[in-house]
This record gives sequence, C-alpha cells and structure tokens, in this order.
Amino acid sequence: MRFVVLMAAREMRASWKRLLFFFICIAIGVGAIVALRSVIQNVRQTFAGEARSLIAADATINSNQAITPEVAATLERRLREAGAESHRAAELPTMTRVADRPGGRARMVELRAVERGFPYYGQLKLADGQAYDHELLRNFGVLVRPELLVQLEVKVGDVLSIGSQRFTIRGVIQSEPGRQMGAFTIGPRVFVDLADLEKTGLLTFGSRAARQRLLKVPADRLDTLVADLRADFANEFVRVRSYKNAEDAIGEDFERSENYLALVGLVIVILGGIGVSSVTRVFVQQKMKSIAVLKCVGARSAQLLAIYVAQVVVLGFAGSLLGLLLALAATQAIPLYVPNSTGVEIAYAVTMPAVVQGLGIGMLVSLLFSLVPLLDVRHVKPSLLLRDEARTRRPDAVQIVVTLAVVGGLVGLTIWQAGSLRIGGIVAGGFAATAIVLHVAGSLLIRAIRPLSRSTSFALRHAVLQLSRPGSQMRIVLLAVGLGSFFIIGVRSLQENLIGQFGDRMTADSPDMFLLDVQRDQVEPVRGVMAQYLPPGAVTPPLIPVLRARVVGVEGREVSLDNYEDVRGRGSLGREYTITYRSTLAANERILQGQMWDDTPSKTAEVSIEQSISERFKINIGDTMRFDVLGRAVAATVTSVRFVEWSESRAGGFMFVFRPGALEQAPHAFIGFLKGPADVETRARMQSALVAVAPNVSVIDGREIIDAIKTVIDNVTLAVTVVGTLVVFSGLMILIGAVAMTKFRRVYEAAIFKTLGATRGLIASVLVLEYGLLGVLAGTIGAGGAIGLTWAVSRYALDIPFTPLIGLSTAGVVITTVIVAIIGVVSSWEVLQRKPLATLRAE
Amino acid sequence: MFLGDSLTAGLGLPAELSYPSLIGSRLNERGLDFEVVNAGVSGDTSAGGVRRLDWSLEGDVKVLIVALGGNDGLRGLPTADMQKNLAAILDRAKARNLVVILAGMEAPPNNGAEYAEAFRQVYVDLARSYDVRLIPFLLQGVAGEASLNQADGIHPNARGAATVADLVWKELEPVLPRPTTPSQ
Repeated sequence: MRFVVLMAAREMRASWKRLLFFFICIAIGVGAIVALRSVIQNVRQTFAGEARSLIAADATINSNQAITPEVAATLERRLREAGAESHRAAELPTMTRVADRPGGRARMVELRAVERGFPYYGQLKLADGQAYDHELLRNFGVLVRPELLVQLEVKVGDVLSIGSQRFTIRGVIQSEPGRQMGAFTIGPRVFVDLADLEKTGLLTFGSRAARQRLLKVPADRLDTLVADLRADFANEFVRVRSYKNAEDAIGEDFERSENYLALVGLVIVILGGIGVSSVTRVFVQQKMKSIAVLKCVGARSAQLLAIYVAQVVVLGFAGSLLGLLLALAATQAIPLYVPNSTGVEIAYAVTMPAVVQGLGIGMLVSLLFSLVPLLDVRHVKPSLLLRDEARTRRPDAVQIVVTLAVVGGLVGLTIWQAGSLRIGGIVAGGFAATAIVLHVAGSLLIRAIRPLSRSTSFALRHAVLQLSRPGSQMRIVLLAVGLGSFFIIGVRSLQENLIGQFGDRMTADSPDMFLLDVQRDQVEPVRGVMAQYLPPGAVTPPLIPVLRARVVGVEGREVSLDNYEDVRGRGSLGREYTITYRSTLAANERILQGQMWDDTPSKTAEVSIEQSISERFKINIGDTMRFDVLGRAVAATVTSVRFVEWSESRAGGFMFVFRPGALEQAPHAFIGFLKGPADVETRARMQSALVAVAPNVSVIDGREIIDAIKTVIDNVTLAVTVVGTLVVFSGLMILIGAVAMTKFRRVYEAAIFKTLGATRGLIASVLVLEYGLLGVLAGTIGAGGAIGLTWAVSRYALDIPFTPLIGLSTAGVVITTVIVAIIGVVSSWEVLQRKPLATLRAE
Repeated sequence: MFLGDSLTAGLGLPAELSYPSLIGSRLNERGLDFEVVNAGVSGDTSAGGVRRLDWSLEGDVKVLIVALGGNDGLRGLPTADMQKNLAAILDRAKARNLVVILAGMEAPPNNGAEYAEAFRQVYVDLARSYDVRLIPFLLQGVAGEASLNQADGIHPNARGAATVADLVWKELEPVLPRPTTPSQ
C-alpha cells in the first residue's frame, strides 16, 4: 500500500505538467456541466414564475356559470386535502358612465373583481409608481385603464356608476397579471372589490359573469390536485387550469423552451463527458511505457492498477472540485455580461443537483476511460510494451463487468437527473447510437481521403496517414471533436429555429387592434378615421369582407349526415363558416392544386378551399359546392386547393375564399386588423372616433395582451440565448482540451523526424495539414449530424417548423477546422522548439 | 323568413335542429305549404340585419320573424341605434305588407339594470308603434338554464331550441296566412 501511494506521488511529481493539463481538462468538463445545469435550473425557475404570473396563481378554476353547491363542496374538500390557499375573482363585461353627468354616454368595460390576496404571483402595476393594495378597492374604489379616462373624460377622484353603485376612481392600471390570454375584450379593464361587485346587482340570474378561483398550492400537490379536480368536474361547466398547461400559444412557447433547456442540459453532460473521457484516454496511453518498465522490475498487476487508478481518482476528484469553483465563478459572472433589459430577475446560482451530477460524471467518466484500458495491464507482457507493438485482444470478463458497472452508473446518473427512466434511457441510447453513427461516418470519411496518401507532398501524405493508420489516437479525437461540434452546432441551430418561431408569433408590426362588424356603408368613414390616426404615409390596413355561410351540398350529395357531436366539434362541413372573397392569395397561403383566378370579377361563383377540407371531405377541383349564404343558395365550382399557414395568420385565415364577383351583392360586414397608435391616449381617441362614425363597430384592443406576451417572449428568448451561448463557449473549451492533449504524442514523433532531418517548417506544415484535415472531417460529421438532430428535435420534441440553416452549418465546419488546426499547432509549438536528443532521452 | 342571429342560425346545432327548421317540420306535419328560410347569421347585430334585409327578402316572403338584438345587448351597443335599425326593418316589411312577428331579447344583467330596462323597452315601443305581434323574450324559460344550453351558456342546445320553437309557434300559428277556401 505504501508503495502504491509513494509511487503515485512520485509519478505526479515527475510529470506534473502533463498531470496539470489533465487536471485542467477535467475541471473544464465538470465546470461546464455544473455551470450550465445550474443556469438551466435557474432559468426554469424564472420560467415557472413567469408562467405563474400569467394566471396570477398556481392554478385557476373557471366557470362561466354560477358554481353549484355540489361543485363548491367538492372543491372545498379537495382544496383542504391539498392544503391549498385560494381566493375568488369574477370577470364580466359591463357598462359604466360618469355619475352625476346626465346624458353622458355609457361605455362598455371589462370588469374584474378580486379579493384580498390577489395576485398570488406577478404584480398589479399602477401608474405614477402608486403601489397596489387591496385597500384601494375596498369600499367602492375602482382602478381603471387610462383609455377609460380619455373616453369618459374623467380623472382620478371622479365617481363612476357601475350597476346600481357608485365607485370612486382611485388609480390607473398600467399592467396586470392573470389576464386571460387571447380573451375577447370589448372595453378597457377596470378593477373593483368582489364584495362591492356583489352589491351592484350585476350578478343576478343570467349574468354573463365568469367566476374564478385562484389557487396557491404546495408544489408537490399541484399536479394531483389539478388532475383530481379535472376528473371531478369533467361534466360540469368548470375548467381547471394549471400554470403548466400549454393551452395557448404562449404556454406552448414555455413548454418548448423547457424542452429545449432539458435537451441542452443533457447535451452538456455528454459534452463534458466527452472532454473528460478523451483526456483520460490519452493520459492513460501515455502511461503504458512506464507501466511496462515497472512490470519489468517486478511490479504486480494489482499494484500497477492501484497506482494509476489512484492517480486518476485523485486528479479526477481534484479536477472536479476545481470545476465546481469555475462553475461558481461563471454563474457569478453571468449577470455582469448579460444585459437585463426586460426587468426580470434571473437568480444565477450553482444548484446542488448540478454539483452532484457534475462530480459524479467527472469521477465516473474518468474511471471508465482509465480503469478499462488499465485492466489490459494484467495481460501485457513487458517485452511487447517495450517493443511498442500494437496488439488487439478481446476484453475479458473482468473488463466487461467493470465497463458495464461504470456505464450502468452513468446511465443511472442520467436517469436520475432527467427525472425519468424513459428520457434517461433515450439519452443513453441516443448517445450510444450517435457515437456509433459518427464512428462509422468517421471511418468512411477517412477512407474517402485515403487517395490523398499517395500525394507527392510529404506533408499531406503524412497527415493523411496519421489519420488513417490503424490504432491511431487521432480517430478517438476525431470522434470526440465530431461529437462536440455536432452538439454545439445542433444546439445553436435549434436555438435559431426556436427563436425564429417566437419572432413569427410577435413582430413589431403585428396588428393589435381589431375591428368587427363594419358595415358596407361604414367602410369609407372607418377608413377615414384610420387614415387620420395612423402615421402619415402608412398603408391603410385593408378591411376584409366576411360572410357567414353553411355548406349544404357537394355535387348533389346532401351534407346533413353529420351527427350532433361532429357539429359541436370543428370537424363538420355543415357548421357555419366565415367566408371571404378576394382576388389574390394572402401572404400565408399557397396554391396546392388548380389555379388562383386572375383579378377580373366573375359572375359565376368560384371557390378556393383549404387543404384539410379537400382531404377530409374528398372534395376535388371541378366539384360544385352548394352554399347557403344568408338564406340564399350559391353554387360554386372548386377551382383551387390552398395551403394556409395557420400559425402565421396575422390577418385571419379562411377555409373558403371566393372569387370576386359573386358575393359582393350579398350583405356582409367587414373586419379589420391594424396596428394602432402606440400612445395610449391617441388609441383611446381613435377608438372613440371609430365608434362615433360607426356605433355598432366593436373595437377590440389587443395591445395589453400583446405587450404581456412580448415581455414573456423576450425573457424566454434571453434565457435561451444565454444558455445556448454558454454551451458553445464551454463546448469549445472542452474541445480545445481534447485536441491539445494529443500534443504529448507528438513529442516523440517530432524528435524522430528532426533526427531524420526534417525542418521545423516541414513538421509545422504536417501538423497544420493533419489537424486541419481532422477539423474538416470532424466539422463535416458535426454539421451533418446537427442538421439531422435539429430536424428530428424540431419535428418531434419541440413541434416547430424546421429550417435548415446552411450558413450556420457551413460556419460550423469552417470554425471547427480553423480552431482544431490552430490548437493543434499552437499546443505542439513547444514540441517544435525542443532539441530532439533531449526528447529522445526523456522518453 | 327568420331574420336573426346565431340563436336563429342554430350555432352549434345541426341545421335541422335549429328552431326555424323545427317550425318548418311542424308546418309540413300540418300540411301547410310554407318554406322556411333561415336568415340567421351568427354574430349579426341589428345594424347588420337592416343592411341585409333586401337580399334575404328576395322571393315571395309571407311572414317575417325578426329576432335580432342579442348581439347588440351582449356588446352593450346603444339602445337608440338598435331601435333605429329595427324600426327601419319594420318600415320595409310594412311597405311590402308582410306579416311580422318581433321577437324580443333581454340584455344580460351584467350590463346593468338601466341598460336592460331601456333594451326591453325598445321592443315594447316598436311592437306598439308598428302594431306587430311581440314575443317579449325569445329565450323565455331557456336562458340561464344549464340543461337547455350548450357549454357556452348562451346558445340553446337541441332541447332548448325545441322550447324556443314552441314559443315561436304559439305566436306564429294564429297569424299564418290561410289559403282561401272555395266557400268564401
């Protein structure tokens, strides 16, 4: 035992430079794992906070009818069992007018009534820095949106009548949490106390009030509670929503980002593992010579194993600890470099599970890649080693058992961290499959460049032979660098696709004001108002004609076979459709079959149908469809089938589009989507002006909701970018380590070359070519694999459209090549400088 | 001819279960030779109704049932405008000598008692000044009853639509123009 310790210590002292390098490489790998996993956990926590503030609670229970006593009893019981807190709220459209101003116009508002305790999450922000407190509402206080002040020409302190009561305006709402996303809003928001609302007489039988219960539930009980309540109320008019639900677009974005982060978290573990494994391998191979010598002088296999395993363990552990320090420093540094423009605090700190995983991976991987090759020592005859003969031997039982045990440990660690057997299994399997595919691809590529080995240039010939020689270490490095660049490019492309998807949803010119029910004779006046309030030179947004129609038949087939359920769902042809007519395709449409008409109107009706209608109901070009348009039958020939990108339908999407000419005479209304003025007061005046020229027109202002969504998307984008950048950065560090480690092999070789008369320049050019080739191969493998990965993940895990990023992939190959070549040469610089004799003696 | 909104169009119901279709089958059962035209448009207001009247009235219309205003009430549109629109419809019906039944609506109580009262008064005043038959509330006995409505709490389900049909039938049957009998 004493011998083992002494020997290990001596070894460390003798080759401390080499060991230091090994040590640092492990530290970087482990540091990357710990830092990234921590940041991901931090970001997730922030996401959860944001998602909660979207509904202002952990979960909400909504009903558009008064809650029956049975429902209430079940609800109370469930809440008690789960230890949940709750308070009530209600939401309803209503009318308000200025009290004591006879003849004043009444305005529709959207009233929200809350109890003390609102909101559980997020903040109700008031203008002028006023802090929200429930006291502001108590005893007939009201908080209003600034638009209402303009529309009613009132100010804070004035009195409004709502229902049968009088409310005093006590503040102006800037933003509120818990807004129902995508909810139909027909007036500015106002807040009152729920107890006061009950005294207004607005909640009597038949009232269109939505009632809500906001819940705060202990985290571990939430999912069960939501599932139980959903089961309890399956047949009631009660909807239960948890902040985790992806019920709307924004929820889907959260879920996608979560999935992305989970994926990145696993990728970084693999990347870190690659870093640690490749340096360990190289380290151990370096040691084979000393092992042979020790064997010659009588060391037993068990002693040798103990010496080197002890070295690896000590260094691995110390390196992992240094990695922890690096991670700590990195997480502290992030807030200094990431601009926090969105005002959302992400608390960056190292988390315990990340530490455990980082340490575990560091130790297990270095063990796996040292213990298994070292076990070979037992069979190695010293003479063979000294003669440096490459030898392949089948692994024996002990090696297999040890390999399985360590791999099992790694898989177990992954499963535990992923929190699911399935995901852990997928990752482990996926990693193995990827390694095999990349290995095969590497071999094929090496074979493909083999003809170059007959090149007349010595440097090129030698570089190619280095890569393709059997037993070449460079293959291992190729695999490591290939995998590394594969994951880096993959993560980066996913990030681009994901953020591109967010951008699609919300661009600066997304419409935020919607006009409904504009009558034909009101089109011109409404256009006039729009032109007056939109910035000069802006294109007046089109008003889109809409008609309601039912399909009554297709070529003589009567379409009334739909059963009741079909009609209730959206799958029926017999339901009422909103149709339009126009002469051109919208930006999010394209023709799949047939032809779009030209812009001349036609008296005989022609219709273009959406793809799903064509497929589901087997309606083809040339068929005649009969529509019931406001009580009159219209027969139209199908002349084209369209594809509609619904996720981009910023100006509405239509199942049926008619050729102009047939429907103009039918009475119909118009709808409009526009981007209103940015200033709140101007918006309010514009809305008043619209209502003045067309009183029946409903102006729906989506601004507040869109702003809220935008903030969330900005935050998510920021988080995704931070994580993605960290992956690229730490991945590069790991790869640098793996490549630089190969320099130790160069020392001896360079000495021989020099002895044989090679100049430094020649050796340098061999190095450049060799590492350059390695980089090209690895980059190609990585970029090719990344395209496959991005495609599969976009399609199956994130559910977003896939766009191949040619530029990014090409850049990936070029950057990999350049970096590998530079590192290879720079790290071998010292080798070039050394006198060959000293090297030969030392080795 | 039923001029109405989603309640008339039968939103969420198969076409043959909307209340105008039920009335149509009842007419057939009694051997009365009338065709029912459903000019119900979901989301339509009284302003939309007045503007599409001519399109829908094409043909030999005998009886006009005006069932508009539900959306005006939901959206809290000014009652004065609604009165003007409905009056224009009644004017034109009168000019064509149609038998008219005016089906009233109620504004939901959340818009306030004041508005609900003014809203109700519109139908009463119009029925009186144009001397037409009035169904005070089309959804009498249906509105607010969970068992008669769809999940949205606004639109009647099949049973609710049958109740509405009964209510309309009671007002419609006495005024149906009878074919002149040979004895007269």
